[in-house]
Amino acid sequence: MKLRLNFLLPLLVALSGLSGALPAVRRRDADIESLFGISRLSRDYSGKRGDPRDKYFHESTFHPHYDGRFADKILSYDERRTHLTALMQTYLSAMNDIGAETWIMHGSLLGWWWNRKIMPWDSDVDVQMSYQSIKFLADYYNMTIHHFRLPGVEKGRDYMLEVNPHYVIDTIEDKLNVIDARWIDTETGLFIDITTLRRNRTAEALGLEGVMMCKDRHHYLEKDIYPLRDSVFENMPVKIPFAYSALLEEEYGARALTRTDFENHHFDQDKMEWIPLR
Amino acid sequence: MASQDKKLENYEQNPYPTKEFPSRTSQGRPLIDFVTNDWKTDPRYQEELYTSDESESFYYREEDDYWVHPRWKKMISYKRVPRRIQRYLLIYVALVTVTWVSWTWFIQPDWEKSRELERQLNTKPLSVFGSNMRPEFSDMTQVKTLDSALLPSEHRLGQRLVVVGDVHGCKEELQKLLEKVSFRSSTDHLILTGDMINKGPDSPGVVDLVRELSASCVRGNHEDRMLLALNDMRAHHAPLQGPGEDPGRTVDTLDEESFSHGDYKARALARQFSDKQIRWLQQCPVILRVGKIEGLGEVVVVHAGLVPGVPLERQDPFQAMNMRSIDLETRLPSDGREGMPWEKLWNHEQAKLRVNERTTVIYGHDSKRGKNILKYSRGLDSGCVNGGKLTAMVIEAGKKGKAKTKFVSVKCKNQKSKKQ
Repeated sequence: MKLRLNFLLPLLVALSGLSGALPAVRRRDADIESLFGISRLSRDYSGKRGDPRDKYFHESTFHPHYDGRFADKILSYDERRTHLTALMQTYLSAMNDIGAETWIMHGSLLGWWWNRKIMPWDSDVDVQMSYQSIKFLADYYNMTIHHFRLPGVEKGRDYMLEVNPHYVIDTIEDKLNVIDARWIDTETGLFIDITTLRRNRTAEALGLEGVMMCKDRHHYLEKDIYPLRDSVFENMPVKIPFAYSALLEEEYGARALTRTDFENHHFDQDKMEWIPLR
Repeated sequence: MASQDKKLENYEQNPYPTKEFPSRTSQGRPLIDFVTNDWKTDPRYQEELYTSDESESFYYREEDDYWVHPRWKKMISYKRVPRRIQRYLLIYVALVTVTWVSWTWFIQPDWEKSRELERQLNTKPLSVFGSNMRPEFSDMTQVKTLDSALLPSEHRLGQRLVVVGDVHGCKEELQKLLEKVSFRSSTDHLILTGDMINKGPDSPGVVDLVRELSASCVRGNHEDRMLLALNDMRAHHAPLQGPGEDPGRTVDTLDEESFSHGDYKARALARQFSDKQIRWLQQCPVILRVGKIEGLGEVVVVHAGLVPGVPLERQDPFQAMNMRSIDLETRLPSDGREGMPWEKLWNHEQAKLRVNERTTVIYGHDSKRGKNILKYSRGLDSGCVNGGKLTAMVIEAGKKGKAKTKFVSVKCKNQKSKKQ
């Protein structure tokens, strides 16, 4: 008996080692099966089938700004607005709690500039994050569900933070994975695209200093982004890049900062609100 | 016919007869009857002798050689036209040419340009910068109003306002300047146009000095960056920051790198200040409304500039601390120099307002353009830290209540060359 045990133990150890060494079939992403219980859907609308194998995040079959693992239809104008607002607020709140450094950019920054709100015709929200923060999220918070109690929502709502494992790849050549993470509304499929502001190593190699970039091919000067400012967006504390007006002017041109009529909306200066022309 | 033949015969004998003309008295006929008109009939006159120096064709050959035909030459010859007129004519011709050349090449394009500019200045665009909700930030005051008791007026004759341009840590020069204007803290009030710190040798010293004088200030882009960097430092890792941290280092540890984003300089600067100094810098508003001063109108102090037509409360703070020019089409300010200098547009717009609505802006920021005194804008940054001058604008009430202003400046040491 003693002999057998002596024989069995190394055998078991060897077997476990072997199984680890064998190329196992591992999931490349969080597909609809792995989200069982989180998504109310049983069919996948993610649009994954038409995408290349290495692309991590997919745009749904019905609209590029919805996650097809959680939604099968687009929302109405009013619904979308309320859900996007909640999405933004919960994101800012969660990141503030975690201590991840994030700030708004692009369309969201323009919305902030006009009236500190998401522009009503915008169907997505753009945020950026420092590399250290995305690393922190990837290490400790990937695929976490954050439950929020919201006014008017009975049971509250679940939001999911999903980090693209390709975030470690530091080059714009990785065209399939320009988005580094998503903050997803698991009920409506709306999400926030999170991109990481990284050091621009190609420009640094050329001797330039303080040059930054995102994988979506946007380039910035470090001094235009940092130090960040504290402001308010959708009634939540938010970080704003240092040279916000210069950045906006560069990205959208002077007209975007002066035109009060845009996308069938008029900016009412008394209400400080974009009013839809219907 | 017979007489004709006889004449011919005579001729052959004596070709040049001296005719004896019979006198009228002897024959009783007028002399004209004796005219023979030989030249008409005599063949000798027909060809060979027909060249007279009196005819035009005599000169015909040489005519081409003259630049001006002698006849014309005669007409305009020096003798006929007085010298004076000749001289004036020459001058007039030259003048006309010069005028024409300068008109077509220089004046007209310039005029056209300025007319176009005038048109752009006067057509207020339909959608103008500043329609948005003003960007608001925590820890930043947009507008403060100066205590009106500090303003010079008829009732307080000795009282002065001393506004000083960008000091940039040049404490010695600031002291010299205050001495030069014989600043008395009992009656005078000091205002700084921002950028009191950074670059120069003694930023905390400057803050201490002006704090003791209970000066007013506005927030410059250097204060802005430093204060924000400090906020960031404190928010993230105050406990990580050791007391022995070398402010001059440029190579960061991993912890430092994760939060500092390369703004070491602003962070190193921030560490030089005490909490009291920081709090004082923190309370500097973006815009200081000085108030109405007789002769100057409404006076406002801001670091970089203002967009005309936008209320102070709604001016974009970043641009108020950074602008240099304004795009005429959209009235969008920027810190570049491509558009029109903001102060030009400001002055143009003020002149269009009613007299009691006009505002004079005192500012700094633009050391490249240097001291820049226009009717409704007074640029005071004369580049002290780069070896230029430190300039003060002294506002004092005159006898009739109208304010007198003068500009006083001191020379500065070049801090840049000293470092190298």
